[in-house]
Amino acid sequence: MLRFTRAVQGPRTSQWATLQIEEGVKKQKVLALGNLISTGIIQREETSMEKEIAGHRRGHFNLADAMYFSQKGCEAVAEDEVTWRFYSEELVSWNLLSRTNANLHNVSWQLTVVWVFGILIRYCLLLPFRVCLSVFSILLLVFATTVVRQFPNGRVKCWLSNQVQMMCAALGVRSLGGLVHFHNRENRPQGGGICVANHTSPLDVLILASDGCYSLVSQTHGGLLGLVLRSCMQTTQHVLFERSELKDRHLVRKKIREHIADKAKLPVLIFPEGTCINNTSVMMFKKGSFEVGGTIYPVAIKYDPCFGDAFWNSTKHSFVTFVFNVMTSWAIVCNVWYLPPMVKEEGEDAVHFANRVQAVIAARGGMSVLPWDGGLKRKKVKESLKEEQQKKYCQIVTENGSMGNGSVC
Amino acid sequence: MGSAHSVPAEMRELADRTGFTSEQIEHLHRRFKQLSRDQLTIRKENFDSIPDLEFNPIRAKIVHAFFDKRNLRPESDGLADEINFEDFLTIMSYFRPIEMNMDEEQLDRFRKEKLKFLFHMYDSDHDGKITLQEYRNVVEELLSGNPHLEKESARSIADGAMMEAASICVGQMGPDQVYEGITFEDFLKMWQGIDIETKMHVRFLNMETIAHCY
Repeated sequence: MLRFTRAVQGPRTSQWATLQIEEGVKKQKVLALGNLISTGIIQREETSMEKEIAGHRRGHFNLADAMYFSQKGCEAVAEDEVTWRFYSEELVSWNLLSRTNANLHNVSWQLTVVWVFGILIRYCLLLPFRVCLSVFSILLLVFATTVVRQFPNGRVKCWLSNQVQMMCAALGVRSLGGLVHFHNRENRPQGGGICVANHTSPLDVLILASDGCYSLVSQTHGGLLGLVLRSCMQTTQHVLFERSELKDRHLVRKKIREHIADKAKLPVLIFPEGTCINNTSVMMFKKGSFEVGGTIYPVAIKYDPCFGDAFWNSTKHSFVTFVFNVMTSWAIVCNVWYLPPMVKEEGEDAVHFANRVQAVIAARGGMSVLPWDGGLKRKKVKESLKEEQQKKYCQIVTENGSMGNGSVC
Repeated sequence: MGSAHSVPAEMRELADRTGFTSEQIEHLHRRFKQLSRDQLTIRKENFDSIPDLEFNPIRAKIVHAFFDKRNLRPESDGLADEINFEDFLTIMSYFRPIEMNMDEEQLDRFRKEKLKFLFHMYDSDHDGKITLQEYRNVVEELLSGNPHLEKESARSIADGAMMEAASICVGQMGPDQVYEGITFEDFLKMWQGIDIETKMHVRFLNMETIAHCY
């Protein structure tokens, strides 16, 4: 907020040159500050539990252990690595969207004027245009897929349905204010492979579909999104399932395996995180898609948060609210990198392969890698993971206890 | 450069009382809103959404400490059902690190407050004494979940520690003397000479200096 006021007040001629230099320095500091803010408010100790506790051990159980754990507890309450990934990213400087300004301070009247002007443009100019375009594109999709369905099965039909899908997806991206830059298009996924990408919102699908044709593996949705999915189902082979059915992993895996065995079929698009993450990090990749074999084509998708937030917080907003938010943002600017294909090496297990792909995607997109499961958005931590931590502590206590218990008083 | 917005009076009062800077308070306020899901108060269930906390063996005691009225206001007792942001900040302020400009008296008071917080965690029935049973409870919680450790071992560890506490506080006990429990004065005695200031604190980053870099 402070930064913006400066720009609005405008440089006086004599200070123009100084400001230009400062812009460059500012950009560097924004990057650094951005990293710091994502890191948060606490500087954590890097020592492990063993060192901390063993350090102040005198041969038997010590009150100080409770102190150590209460400090860790307080740190966790003040901030943790995971929960904030399921909320929209906080911006370093405000982008004039009131929803991204957590603390709406009345900074100055000039800023308010600019903000009101921005609202007028977004709601009265951009929104109606975008709504019209998206309605048109959905109607076109439904109409065109119905037409194509009438064609006899064959190469022409396949080609036509691909073209229809790509065109409607491209229109859809434009209607949501999307500005996409594709990099390394020579690495685009081929038939018979699996395309994996990090997941931030349903827009990911649209963006990828505008540049290539894929078979989707996704959960069934209701409402508007469900309608769109069902129309696409008419002409292309997609794999849809219930989220609860996901437990029937064998069935899903079998379907995917059958699909990629046929090289003529479209590549399968999978989001191994399993849920939407806020695009600052890549969470654990579920190993299921990496077990089927076949070539993996990793894709990194990174949104620029300056102009709009593409993250869908499904626990907070419905799909329609999300689409409305996207349409009333300035734009959705995004970079898509097609990365070279990867295969599972001899003797490598699926988890290791999944981590390898995750690291490659995160490195390209400039996001951090988290070993946590995206499922934590809805579920609690697995009991087995908790017990491991407690076992570690018990070992430390009993080892030293057995040595020191003799000499107490 | 100068901040273009004025800090509201309540914020300044909070800052004075808890010792956080206004930027840190803002950041913690956002965290509070995240935990409370945009409500004005937090209940015990809201702490379930923190995965890091799940790993903590004394998680229950930590969450309990947030709602313990003895920690929130002096001379009060009992358990609150829900806490607001002010209470949240009050509990967090127990973990503030010591500042360079503190004098002897302030340091002593600071240390006592932290130890009192720890004391309340152990003294679960609020009677002002840590009895053998309460001590055992804490040990068992810390060691819970390990199938290899029998209950007996946990008990013997607790008993041994309690005996050591008694020897520090009461000295040599006669054969008929019964050690009732660790009072707060005894607790303070146990910690004499041990430096807790560097152990029981969370290093909150000072956001002000960073913002001014702009």
